[in-house]
Amino acid sequence: MKKVCSDWTKIFSQEFVNPIFWNDFELNAKAAHTEIIKVSNFEEAQMTIFNIIRSTKAKSIVAVGNEESTKIANIYNNLYNLGVQIYTDKFAIAENAPTADIGISTAEFAVGETGSVCVDCYSYESRVVGMLPPVHIVFLNCNNIVKNMTTAFKVISQGFKNGYMGFITGPSRTADIERVLSLGVHGPSRFIIIVVDVPAIGGMN
Amino acid sequence: MTNNRNIKKEIDVKLHDEVLRDALGRFVDQYSDARLKAYANVDSIEDLRDSLKEMKQETVAHIEEIADEFEASVKQKGGQFYRAKDGDAVKKYLLKICQENNVQRIVKSKSMASEEIHLNKFLIDNGLHVKETDLGEWMLSVAGQRPSHMIMPAIHLNRQQCADFFSQELQEKVPDDIDFMIHKAREVLRDEFLQADMGLTGANFGIAENGAIGLVTNEGNARLTTTLPRIHVILIGYEKLIPKIEDAAKILRLLPRNGTCQRMTSYMTMVAGPTPVIRKVNGNWIEEDRQVHVILLDNGRLKSAHDPKFKEVYQCVRCASCLNVCPIWTLVGGHVYGHIYSGGIGVILTGLLNSMEDFNKISELCIGCRKCVSICPGKINIPDLIEELRAQNVKNNGLSLPLKVVVQDILANRKIFHTLLRIASIGQKPVQTGNVIRHLPMFFAKLTNGRSLPAIADEPLRDRVSKLLKKNPPAPVKRVAFFSGCNIDFVFPKTGQSVIRVLQDLNMEVVFPEQQNCCGKPVLGMGDRETAKNIAKNNVIVFEEAVVDVILCACPTCAETWHKTYLELFADDQEWADRVRKITAKVYEFTSFVAEAYEKADRLIKTKGSKKVTYHDSCHMNRGLGIFQQPRQLLNAAVDYELVEMKNCDKCCGMAGAFGMKYSEISLPILKEKIENIKASGADTIAVACPACMMQIQGGLDQQAPEIKIKHIADIIAEHLE
Ligand code: SF4
Ligand code: SF4
Repeated sequence: MKKVCSDWTKIFSQEFVNPIFWNDFELNAKAAHTEIIKVSNFEEAQMTIFNIIRSTKAKSIVAVGNEESTKIANIYNNLYNLGVQIYTDKFAIAENAPTADIGISTAEFAVGETGSVCVDCYSYESRVVGMLPPVHIVFLNCNNIVKNMTTAFKVISQGFKNGYMGFITGPSRTADIERVLSLGVHGPSRFIIIVVDVPAIGGMN
Repeated sequence: MTNNRNIKKEIDVKLHDEVLRDALGRFVDQYSDARLKAYANVDSIEDLRDSLKEMKQETVAHIEEIADEFEASVKQKGGQFYRAKDGDAVKKYLLKICQENNVQRIVKSKSMASEEIHLNKFLIDNGLHVKETDLGEWMLSVAGQRPSHMIMPAIHLNRQQCADFFSQELQEKVPDDIDFMIHKAREVLRDEFLQADMGLTGANFGIAENGAIGLVTNEGNARLTTTLPRIHVILIGYEKLIPKIEDAAKILRLLPRNGTCQRMTSYMTMVAGPTPVIRKVNGNWIEEDRQVHVILLDNGRLKSAHDPKFKEVYQCVRCASCLNVCPIWTLVGGHVYGHIYSGGIGVILTGLLNSMEDFNKISELCIGCRKCVSICPGKINIPDLIEELRAQNVKNNGLSLPLKVVVQDILANRKIFHTLLRIASIGQKPVQTGNVIRHLPMFFAKLTNGRSLPAIADEPLRDRVSKLLKKNPPAPVKRVAFFSGCNIDFVFPKTGQSVIRVLQDLNMEVVFPEQQNCCGKPVLGMGDRETAKNIAKNNVIVFEEAVVDVILCACPTCAETWHKTYLELFADDQEWADRVRKITAKVYEFTSFVAEAYEKADRLIKTKGSKKVTYHDSCHMNRGLGIFQQPRQLLNAAVDYELVEMKNCDKCCGMAGAFGMKYSEISLPILKEKIENIKASGADTIAVACPACMMQIQGGLDQQAPEIKIKHIADIIAEHLE
């Protein structure tokens, strides 16, 4: 799958990412109506997704991220074997995203000060999974958190030559009618982050 | 929009629009606190604003190079690039793309530049199917209305009105249930996205370094517009360009916080060059690169970039917060501004990007309260730029006749002016002195329900001084010249007496140069620089001849005019600039001057009296001169008084010169709110340090709360000196 930067982790350094920003991130993300689910391993992540599928009565899922991570690929395989209709091929995603119930993708890093996650979505399929279905789930590694937008853009300026990327901070929302907050106007009404690994409080070393 | 608009009538309609009043009232009440909450986790808002301002200033100084670099980057990534000098050029180019690529359906994601050039109408007239996708914009396009706010375009509508537009567009009865409407819109617009051939967006910024554009939305419509259609057209103005990728953070840390009181909007999207799109062609899915066209729009922007004053508009990130805090916008909403940009910045952009004729219609919709300046992310001096445009206009077209008589024949001539004021004091009814007098500074107020007209004093200060100055101390520490300004001289001479008394008590000798004239601010407000220069020169000469240590003003507007405006007036005149600089070094404002002297004399001791006093921050004192502590220190130290704060103590009282008279329908509700806040504070005295505010608030108290007394701080201090 095409990405703006094939390995963002190469740009991270102690200076930029630090799990000490986790609390900030969690607070701000929740304030923006993001749902955060912490899991300690990928088996738990799989269970979590399965539960979301059950509770939302989802019939079909479009998902990316399997090419980047064998662990994520395993989850998708297992879900498929459990009878979940999950599409991971780009053309199948294009075909099914408009009617899918859940989209799954990955985030590169998160921003403490705003509660945002940075998404690299050069590929068409990574964008539609996050925009067309009513529920969007992303995987995030809890160690990859930067302080604020200033540091986020220091990272981005090293990896962004061309393509499509940006930030997501909560579900799609509008307040255009009487300034009443309403979720899900164009994009998803639920934005769920599955945070893999417990935060390593006290620094990375 | 035609130019024979009747602005007064339009304002009247808006002031009686209950839906609008209700919506704006609630919004304004919440905005300021919500904004600060969004900033609660940054170290310094000021630092963020400075860094944005500096980055933008640096950019506009090199706008051509930055634009060249942006163009090269876009092309290098494989995007097409076109520079459009105006709206017609955009339309021609766009139509060509549509024809060459068999485009039939277009989805748009908020582009104010496209509204500026009336693009939608043109495209529709040419047979294209065009849909706005921002919910608010979509409803307005159905309703055939213009946005009333840059970020909340439909804030003037309520849910019933929205439901009517839904029903009209969808040809079915839509209930006024917000959730239902949102989901209906999702369904309808989703189809539009999926079927569109072209996505047309604006941009919040364009990065020269890599040719990327950035889009900030909450709904996610920009993300869909830039993802689904096979062609993406970006219409971006020069003012949106920034040099480096990292510079985007400088915008993003301010724009959502100021604009929507969020730390970040839901979606922040950047696109650099063509990106893949997957679509079905002849029954088969194919993946290809999307066509990307970047249209860089001039339409008056480059001219502003090269103007020493107006290049400041490049510091605007279109957050619309200057509207949210503007006492005028929050009363009348955006439509009366006539063009697509409203509020203070809208007045300026209308003049720069639309026409001076349209500007003229709305040039007075700013009372110079500077509230917007205090929160604008780019720190734009909005009222100064409006005044600059007025001045250019007067330079090119002259003043209208009645104003010309007042300004050039009366205000500029001290003798005639003062004689007229004396006649007015005898007649006491300004009506009897004809129309002319109503344009004089004191008569900018209008007698209406809710405010009474100030009375001209029987004996102006200038006739009282000789007696007062006899009490000058024998061995003074300083020689002080009192610049009274018109209001103290002719309306509040007693306050002038108090000022003199306070200074004499500090063992200072006071002089009152009789040849002093109005500071010139009212004249400048009307845009007549030449007359203002003559007035300024007169004052400079008179005070030079007085040979004093200090020149004291008890009116913040006078002090500000001496300090700031006189210097600006003579910027091109070395000799006078030097003289002005020398003399203004001696000009002080009363409360700050006295507070400092009291501090030295250990007289700033906090006391607690039985009379409750609340303080109204004059706009020019607080935001113009940055003085807000000293008046409070003086009140805290005033025997008999206890200072209690009121709600919105720093909100404009609605006076501000010609405006209060001409637009009394706007000025009065602002005043009414002020009086209500004064009452609610429980104070029996309202203290001010500005005679113009004193006049306005007194007029309101007379009618709404006669039991509350208004006093200049000088009067309060002087009470205990005898
Ligand atoms: S002038 Fe300042 S406050 Fe107004 S829209 Fe522009 S950036 Fe925002
Ligand atoms: S100075 Fe005051 S009145 Fe003028 S635009 Fe700014 S907020 Fe509005």
